[in-house]
Order: sequence, then structure tokens, then C-alpha cells
Amino acid sequence: MVQTKRMLVLIICIVLLSMMSAGNASAKQILYNSTIEDGDGYQINNYVIDVTDVFVDAETAVFKVYEKDDLKHDKMIGDDKSFSFEIEGEDVEVTLVSVGGGILPRVTVTITISDDDIVHTKGVVDGGHDKASFSGTPILEITKTVSPQEIAVGETARVTVSVTNAGDDDATGVRFSDSIPARFVLQESFVSETGKMSLDIGDSRQIFIYELKATESGTFTLDPTTATFSNEAGGDFPQASSNSPTLTVEGDSLEEAMKEAELQFTISLEPTSVQRTGFIDVKVHIKNTGDAPAEGVSMDILIPDGLEFEEGDDEIEVVGNVPKLYLSSFGLQQEKEISYRVKANSEGTYTITTQYSYQYDNAVDEDLQEVSDELTTTSIQVVKGQYDSLLEQPIYVYAIPLVLIIAIGGWIFYRHRQYRF
Amino acid sequence: MLNILIIGNGQCGNRILDAVNKEAFGGKGKLAKFYSKQKYKSRVETIAINTAVNDLKELKYTKAKDRIHIPHLHGVGANRNVGKQVFAENHSHIMRQIEERGSFDVAFVITSASGGTGSSFTPPLIKEIKERHDFPVYAIVVLPFREEGSLYLQNTAFCLKDIRETGVDGIILADNQFLKQLGGDVESAYNSINDMIAKRILFLLDALDSEMMMVTDLGDFKTVMSGGAGIATIGFYQAEKDEPIRTTIQKSLSPAGLLFSTDVYEEASRSMIIIRGDKSYLSIDEISTEVEKLSASVGHVFKGIIVRKGERPQVLSVLTLESASELENLYAVAIDAINEEREKKARVLEDRNVDKVFSKIDGLEPQY
Ligand SMILES: Nc1nc2c(ncn2[C@@H]2O[C@H](COP(=O)(O)OP(=O)(O)O)[C@@H](O)[C@H]2O)c(=O)[nH]1
Repeated sequence: MVQTKRMLVLIICIVLLSMMSAGNASAKQILYNSTIEDGDGYQINNYVIDVTDVFVDAETAVFKVYEKDDLKHDKMIGDDKSFSFEIEGEDVEVTLVSVGGGILPRVTVTITISDDDIVHTKGVVDGGHDKASFSGTPILEITKTVSPQEIAVGETARVTVSVTNAGDDDATGVRFSDSIPARFVLQESFVSETGKMSLDIGDSRQIFIYELKATESGTFTLDPTTATFSNEAGGDFPQASSNSPTLTVEGDSLEEAMKEAELQFTISLEPTSVQRTGFIDVKVHIKNTGDAPAEGVSMDILIPDGLEFEEGDDEIEVVGNVPKLYLSSFGLQQEKEISYRVKANSEGTYTITTQYSYQYDNAVDEDLQEVSDELTTTSIQVVKGQYDSLLEQPIYVYAIPLVLIIAIGGWIFYRHRQYRF
Repeated sequence: MLNILIIGNGQCGNRILDAVNKEAFGGKGKLAKFYSKQKYKSRVETIAINTAVNDLKELKYTKAKDRIHIPHLHGVGANRNVGKQVFAENHSHIMRQIEERGSFDVAFVITSASGGTGSSFTPPLIKEIKERHDFPVYAIVVLPFREEGSLYLQNTAFCLKDIRETGVDGIILADNQFLKQLGGDVESAYNSINDMIAKRILFLLDALDSEMMMVTDLGDFKTVMSGGAGIATIGFYQAEKDEPIRTTIQKSLSPAGLLFSTDVYEEASRSMIIIRGDKSYLSIDEISTEVEKLSASVGHVFKGIIVRKGERPQVLSVLTLESASELENLYAVAIDAINEEREKKARVLEDRNVDKVFSKIDGLEPQY
């Protein structure tokens, strides 16, 4: 019963401790809390803490800290005493808990480190630092450059990200991440190494080359490109980051830089009221009032049933019964008048719809902008023609004279036959 | 309503028939047949018979179905013997054409006496009709111009004789020579003679089938025609402006109105006078005076009066002749002609004898 109570207390203590360490990142993290025999060592990365002499009676031990083969520290400490040193900027504290005898004398130690993130290799090494195997540290130096560093809105700048492994170990599992800054449009990407890769010691590589198009003026700091990686031994390293170059964009905002071709179509009819079988002259006046030239101007004239396209300017081509017009370009402030003539075939009220479309370069976007719309004329009245009232007469008005003519013709023929010998 | 058959034989007969049909259309132009209706009172059937297809083609007012061509190589010429033979060969065809047209109350056959086809077809045709039917048949015979030659005169003489022997009910004479006075070239003379004859025939047909004030009918006509020597002629006159009915009657009986030269008061045996016109013109007194004057020398005169509103008076007279001095003259000339022809033939024969004389020295050589 007493034993179980102790276990409980111990567990609670451990939980509390671990909670404390989680709560405070700068708190010491225990790397090791156990015995090390005389002549063995404890390795942290490239450092080995050797236990060289244990004086059981004096309850004292000698610790020698090597960075690889270099002796860095030589400490003799007594029971319950500690010593500290730095590994890669982190504090390592070694506390001698107790000294024990036996065939081989041994020490019980507690080793803590201020941040175990840097630790990629640790553990007791039999035989001390002589027997330790060291893994290297790949160091990825990422450079991000932008050229030119000053551009105008709508222009592009080229971003180049390259990396060099300046460390002493191969980098494995290297993965880069990069983000396109806001207010820029990725215009074109030439190189983009986004997969996992390795980078041997001393190797250099271009990871990203892309062009950004500026859409707004201002000075922009590009986010650094980062990389996660491991060394040969599989130890993870903190992510490497590039510098953050700045890029200055001058001039108007993109909206202001944008240009537009604006074709104004106006249609006039002469006359707007016509007798059946009469003609209506239609004039389409086109003017480019925008600030960009238009290209591929096309016009489809949709003549309703009851009206008929009679003739028109040479540019008008009738394709599949639809009179069409195509102008390959239409410059700034250019004006043009197209005329055609339609014939009124039957009574009614009509409108003629002209569908048009054109394209232009807005000076910002790469693709041509397309505009299409339609335009409808005011209404055209087709009234009864001069002789239409004749057509409206009941059938007998025609039939009677016709029957008479046929009858007379028939009679004359009959008589002629009767008297022809 | 009467059923009347009119047959025109040969060119002359055909043309007069066509003139009758033209007159029935109102005597108007060529196009009358397209807009007009023939104004026959009776049912009138007309048949033109010829061996010469061109003569038939010339006709304008006679229906095609009424033109009967009797084909004969080279035609008939003026040879009546050939004509008679051709008729004999085709008589059943001709008779069928007639009989197809139903039965008739009276028939007229028009022909020239001097030609080939008409003069030779008419006698046997009349004979055959008379044999098969009992309606009266009258021949309307055109006499030639005297200067047309001996052959024509000879034909005329024989033709008239032949017709008389057929049992014909009467021969109405029209004399080209007598009517020549109408003048103009031969063609227009023919046309005006034909029109005259046609006018009279039409008037007669109209009268025979009309409601008359004083009745003359087909029976009276028959009676008139059966008198005399079986030879008759027709007179006609239409009053000018305000001519009184008296002179109108007189003129119809004068050479100006007759178709054949005769002195009616001398030669006529029976007569019929048909007067037509507006009542206002028809003075019964005048009519009676004139009719009496004629009947004093002729005997019974059948008279008929047809009242037609607004019409100027027209008078048709039908006269049968007891004697015809003109016909005698013609026969005298004809006999001379026949003799002349015979002599000509004899001379030709003699010429043949001259040949014989020459042939006697055939094979001989002159001896010197
Ligand atoms: N009145 C008159 N006599 C005609 C006409 N044609 C021919 N003749 C006369 O008829 C005679 C000739 O006979 P024609 O009928 O021509 O011969 P056929 O056709 O062989 O019978 C001649 O004496 C002509 O003067 C005509 O149209 N009118």
C-alpha cells in the first residue's frame, strides 16, 4: 500500500513537471537523468560529456566536455553540484546526483538543456568521445533577389531564389516554401523546385525564378523563402530562411494604367416610316472614343423577317443571309460610317439589331479584352404600299377578270380550233 | 323551227356557203366568229365539199368539221367525167356526213355549173339525197362568165341538164355574167356576188322560219318552186333612206335586184314576195298595188310580210321561170362550143392522119 502511494506521488510529480516544462519554453528540459559508468560519455549533437574519473569515496567525479575531439571543459564536481556550458547557444547543465561503486564506478547525473530543439543527436556513448560518431549540420543559405528593384505599375520584376548548403553535412528532405506577395500577379514562373530534394555539402541551386507583375505602387518587402531539412543522420533542423528583399513600384495604380478601346455605335434611319416595297437607308456611325485602338471589330446586322437586306457598302458581306462587317483595326478617335439599305417587304413595326464585338489591349492584362454588345435601332414602320390595297381585295376581284380572261381565251381557242381546217 | 341543210360543192359552192355563214354572223369581219353567234332562226347545217383541199382551207366561217375533203390525185380539173367517178367512189362517205347531221326539212345545194368538182358532184348528190329522203332539195347554180371559154360553157350545159334529171325540186340560177356589173377585179367580183347570193339565201331562210303577218312558209316556197320550167331566180332590194315600199318592191324585181337576167313580167310563172321592215314603211296599199301588178302577168303571187321594228324595208322575191331567154342564149353558145370542141378533137385526129402520111416514107431513102 505504501509503495503504491509513492508511485502515485511520483506520477503526479512527473505530470506536474512536464506541465511546467510545456508551459515555459525557456525552462530546462531534461535530456538525461540516469547513470553513466566511468569511461563512458553522454553525447549531445557534436558534444560529448565524458565521465573520466569517479571518486566514490569523495563522492566526486570529473567530467570532460569535448566538441568532437576538442576538449572544451574539464570539470570536477562534487555530489549535488552542477556545471553548465553552451551548445549552439543553448545552455546545457550537468548535475551530479550521486556516485556509486561496484566493479565499475558510476555516476548518476541529470542533464538539462534550455531548448532541446537544437538537439538532433543524444545518448550515452560507451567509451566516451573517442567512440562517439558525429553527424554534421547542414546549413542552408537561401538568397532571394529581385531585379530590378524598382519598377512601374504593370511592369514585371524577376525574383530569383537560390540556396547553398554551407554546412558540414548533406541536407536531406529539403522542402522550400515561398509565397507570392499580395499586390503582385505571378506573370510567369521559370523555375520552381517545390518537391523534396537533397543538397550535398557546398552545393548551390536555383530554387525559384519567377516574374511578378506589379499592380499597385508602393514599397513591398517580399516574404522570405523558407526551407525545412534534415541532415544525413535524419536529424531535423530548424527551418532555414532567406532574406526579404524589397521592391519599389512606382507610378499609377493598375486601374489607372489600364487603357480601353471604346467604340460608340450610332445608327440612323432614313426614313423611319416607309411604304411597303420601299427602302430604308441605314447609317451606322462608329467612333473609337477610348484610349486604346480596337481590333477585330465585327458587326452582324440582324434583319428581321419582313425586311430584307438590299445592298450596302462594299465592306458588308452577306454570309448565310446575315450581312456582316469586319474591320481588322480601328484606331484611336477613328470614325467610320457604314451604310446599307433594306427593303420593306411586309407591313409592321421592326427594329434592326446589330451585334458587334471588338477586342483591345488594356495595357495591363496579357490577354486581349473582348467587348461584345448589341445595338437596336429605333422602330421602323412599314405601312401599306401604294398598290397594297389591291392585294387586299377579296379574291374575286382578281378571280373575276382572271376567269373572264381565261374564259375568253378558252373560247377564242375553242373557236379557232373549231374553224381551223 | 326548220331543219335546213346547205351544201356547197366545189370552189364556187364552198365560197358561197362560207359567205352564207359569214352573213349569218352578221356579215361582219373575220373575227366575228370569236364574239358573235350565227343568227339562224332554224337549225342550219352547212357542209362544204371539195376535192381541192386549198379551196377548203380558204374558208373562214365554216366549221372545220363541216369541210369535207374528197381526196383525188391532181384534183378533178374541169373534167366532169372524172368528177362523177370520184363522187361515185366517195358517195357513201359523203352521204354518211350528211346523214350524221340528222333529218332535214329542206336542203340547198350550191355549186357552179361550169367547174369540175361542183358541177359533177351536184347532180349525183342531189339524186342520192332525193332517193333516200323526201325533203325538197333545191340547187343554187352559178353560171359562168361567158368569156371563160368553151369548156366551161359545155360543162354548164351538161351540168344543168344533169341536175334537172335528178328529181331536184328546183334550180335557182345566179349568173356571174349578169352580176359582173358589180365590177372590180375577178376576186372582188366573186366576193360581192357571193355576198349577194348569201344575203338572199339568209333572207329566204329567215322568212321561211318567221312569224309573218301574211303567211308564206316552206309549203308556199315549194309551190312556187314547183312551177314553171323548174328554173328560178331570186330578187332582192333594200330600201335606201326614205324610198317608198313600192319602189323597193319594183327594184327587187328589176335587174338591179335579180341574180339572173330575166324580165319577170314576161318570163316568171310563179312568184313569192317577202317584205320585211318597220311597220311604218309597210303601206299595205302600195304593197297590194305592186303585188297586183305582178300577179296580172304572173298569176298567183305569194306574199309574206315580216314586221321588224326600226328596219328599213327589204324585199325578197322568188320567181320561177316559164322560159329563160338568157338560158336559151347560153345553150346556143354552149352548143356552138360543144361543136367547136368536137371539131378541135377531129382536127387532132386529122393531125394524127398527117402523122400517118409521114410514116409512109419511113425506111425509104431519097433517090437522086
Ligand atoms: N360567183 C362565184 N363564182 C365562182 C366563184 N369561184 C368560181 N366561180 C365560178 O365557178 C366556175 C368554176 O367552178 P369552180 O367551182 O371553181 O370549180 P370546181 O371547184 O371544180 O367545182 C367559174 O365559172 C367561176 O367563174 C366564186 O367565188 N363566186
